[in-house]
Amino acid sequence: MATIGAFCVTLDKDQCINYRMPGKCATCAEICPYGVFSLNGDNEVAVQNYNTCVGCRLCAEFCPENAIRINPAESELVSRYPWTFGTIEEIHHKALTGTYMLRGFGTMGLTPHFDKIVVVPSQLASPAPKDKYREECHMEVVIGEETCERPIRLQYPFIFPAMSYGALSREAKLALAIAAATTGIMTNTGEGGVVEEEPYYANGFERPNRSRKTWPPGGYLAIQWSTGRWGVSADYVNAGDAVEIKIGQGAKPGMGGHLLGEKVTEDVARIRGIPVGSDALSPCRYYDVLAPEDLKKQVDFLRDVTNYEKPILMKLGPSRPYDDVKMAAEAGVDAISIDGLVGGTGCSPEVVTQGVGIPTIACIGPAVRALKDLGLHRKVKLFALGGIRGGLDAFKAMAMGADGVGFGTAAEIAMGCRGCMACHQGNCPYGITSQNPKMRERLDPEEIGQRLANFIKATAEEVKILAMLSGHGDIRELSEEDLRALDVDTAAITGLKLVGYERPLPWWENG
Amino acid sequence: MAHAPNVLDAKSRDLRGASTQVKAMLATDSVVVKNAAHLHGLCGGLKAGEITIDGDSGDYLAVLNDGAVVKVTGNAGKYVADNMTGGKVLVEGDADYGAAQYCYGGTVVIRGTAGDFTATMNKGATIIIGGDVGNDAATYMMAGDVIIVGNGGENLGNYLIRGNIYIRGDWASLGHNCAAGDVNAEDAQKLEALLKEYGIAADARSFRKVTPLSDKPFYSH
Ligand SMILES: Cc1cc2nc3c(=O)[nH]c(=O)nc-3n(C[C@H](O)[C@H](O)[C@H](O)COP(=O)(O)O)c2cc1C
Repeated sequence: MATIGAFCVTLDKDQCINYRMPGKCATCAEICPYGVFSLNGDNEVAVQNYNTCVGCRLCAEFCPENAIRINPAESELVSRYPWTFGTIEEIHHKALTGTYMLRGFGTMGLTPHFDKIVVVPSQLASPAPKDKYREECHMEVVIGEETCERPIRLQYPFIFPAMSYGALSREAKLALAIAAATTGIMTNTGEGGVVEEEPYYANGFERPNRSRKTWPPGGYLAIQWSTGRWGVSADYVNAGDAVEIKIGQGAKPGMGGHLLGEKVTEDVARIRGIPVGSDALSPCRYYDVLAPEDLKKQVDFLRDVTNYEKPILMKLGPSRPYDDVKMAAEAGVDAISIDGLVGGTGCSPEVVTQGVGIPTIACIGPAVRALKDLGLHRKVKLFALGGIRGGLDAFKAMAMGADGVGFGTAAEIAMGCRGCMACHQGNCPYGITSQNPKMRERLDPEEIGQRLANFIKATAEEVKILAMLSGHGDIRELSEEDLRALDVDTAAITGLKLVGYERPLPWWENG
Repeated sequence: MAHAPNVLDAKSRDLRGASTQVKAMLATDSVVVKNAAHLHGLCGGLKAGEITIDGDSGDYLAVLNDGAVVKVTGNAGKYVADNMTGGKVLVEGDADYGAAQYCYGGTVVIRGTAGDFTATMNKGATIIIGGDVGNDAATYMMAGDVIIVGNGGENLGNYLIRGNIYIRGDWASLGHNCAAGDVNAEDAQKLEALLKEYGIAADARSFRKVTPLSDKPFYSH
């Protein structure tokens, strides 16, 4: 059998009834179909033959004292695929409850991502490296320079993407706003309405009268316009510095959102403008957009309602990046975020998170080509989202042609999250994705905002190091030439040059 | 002596040009806009003032309206009064697809007929349709009143979460989570006042009332 020797079986003697009272219990020996456990003449249980264990955990399930541990000696993906323990448990869950699996976080497991791409440093054949200490590296990204009366000037090429109040706690929202202010970047309301303090916090002010900047230099707040339109009014769209039209997100493209009535507390209800305890269902598409022309009309009226001052952004899930980005740009927006397969969420069905959408690294190239074909690359700004973990991923995304990146899950982790993936339950022990006052108390927006800011600054330094060692004093100069694919798959997906071969794969060269 | 209203001929203007002009004119008096059918999103996000569109309007008229009174003497395009939070929108003729969607407050009156998906996701506005309404009216409504003097189409009130639909005529079918019943005295009083205010000749007691069956109509509770 393929599973021979794949599992280590251990019996905790302090817990085991048989060990204390031989003959009193032999459930494991009776239940195991493979004779992993045996009884000797004195009716004492021992692990006799763990080589035959197939990792079904029947014994652990039936042990009255929870004394048995089964650990894979090699990955279950090798030994039991496709019927891994996880798969079996998932089927049991559905069979027992009649409900599908929901969770927070993004796609888990190996999908094509940034890791099989390396950065090419400068030596002789390309412009010499830059000195990180003496020389400058331009990091600013400007959104809406030619189209808006109040363009956005991000100090670093980073944003915090939309994370809604409701999914996140009020305290987490405020920590993000403080961090955006401290680092001069942009945060986003998400689709759950605006928390009162968010607009002035994001701009760096502690009080609504904006008299003194507590968190210089001050950042920006994007206001999300989505299909549920929670708390949306003329005042709402004018509350921030930009308006983002959400079409989709990586963790659940093609789906709306659904904040269950249980999570619609009094405060959430007030900010979303809906009855307490009522389900807040964000439809999967706009009821007020039937045709592509309608999208352009929406961009136009949002510009009008915001007095032609504020950039209009659009956020897309990972579907058909070339055509989608083309349509978004043609609708007349100032920046487009495209969120890849790995993109995080506060709550999404497991099947959608795992299996729907194309990887982030496969979105960026087509998105950039669409903008180039329209003559809009670097004019309409492109932000890559979905599984960006730090400066290395950010650099790679930007060398592939994005103007900047967003940190959703990484920001949650910077706030203290350990990745339990139970965001949807609303009991986050760090107070990040919880509406429970006891948990929320643990998150001090100032302290956690500082941590987020530290993360952003350190990450910006990483990008700077990488840019300068590859010979650039300006992030706008980064290009695909700064990257190589480590394997054929990645070269095939991205069109990057394959290491060793030093050229893109033939079909990319032949068009 | 009252001023004569400002008149704007929007014929050769784009949205920005017309909108800037309307806002400037509103500072002094009410405004009449002629030839505005090509403009989409006109009168968006206004907090006060009275504007009459003389003739037909384009799409998204009075989107995000937050206090203005906007009248259309002809027909309204798609998505009239989209995401309105306050004020009034009055359409003398018919409204195309998706009238009064995503509204939080204010009053929308369409004297003629209204298209499919009218009043979708209403969260608190009063929406009156003098004639018939298309399919899927008041889908996902969460609060407010939708009053249909004529007939309803298919899926009336589909997935109703909260709020009331009052309908005088027939409907092709009721949507998921809807129950039809009679109006009570309080409803009748409310209806009577509204019908009177907008000059609609109909007996408040001849309406039926559609309300949610369950307050949790979705999977996963
Ligand atoms: C807790 C949480 C809430 C989110 N809420 C929204 C939302 O309201 N609107 C939206 O467009 N995206 C939402 N997203 C998706 C993020 O904006 C972003 O696309 C994603 O987190 C990027 O991928 P990453 O998490 O791998 O960085 C949410 C993500 C998280 C983790």
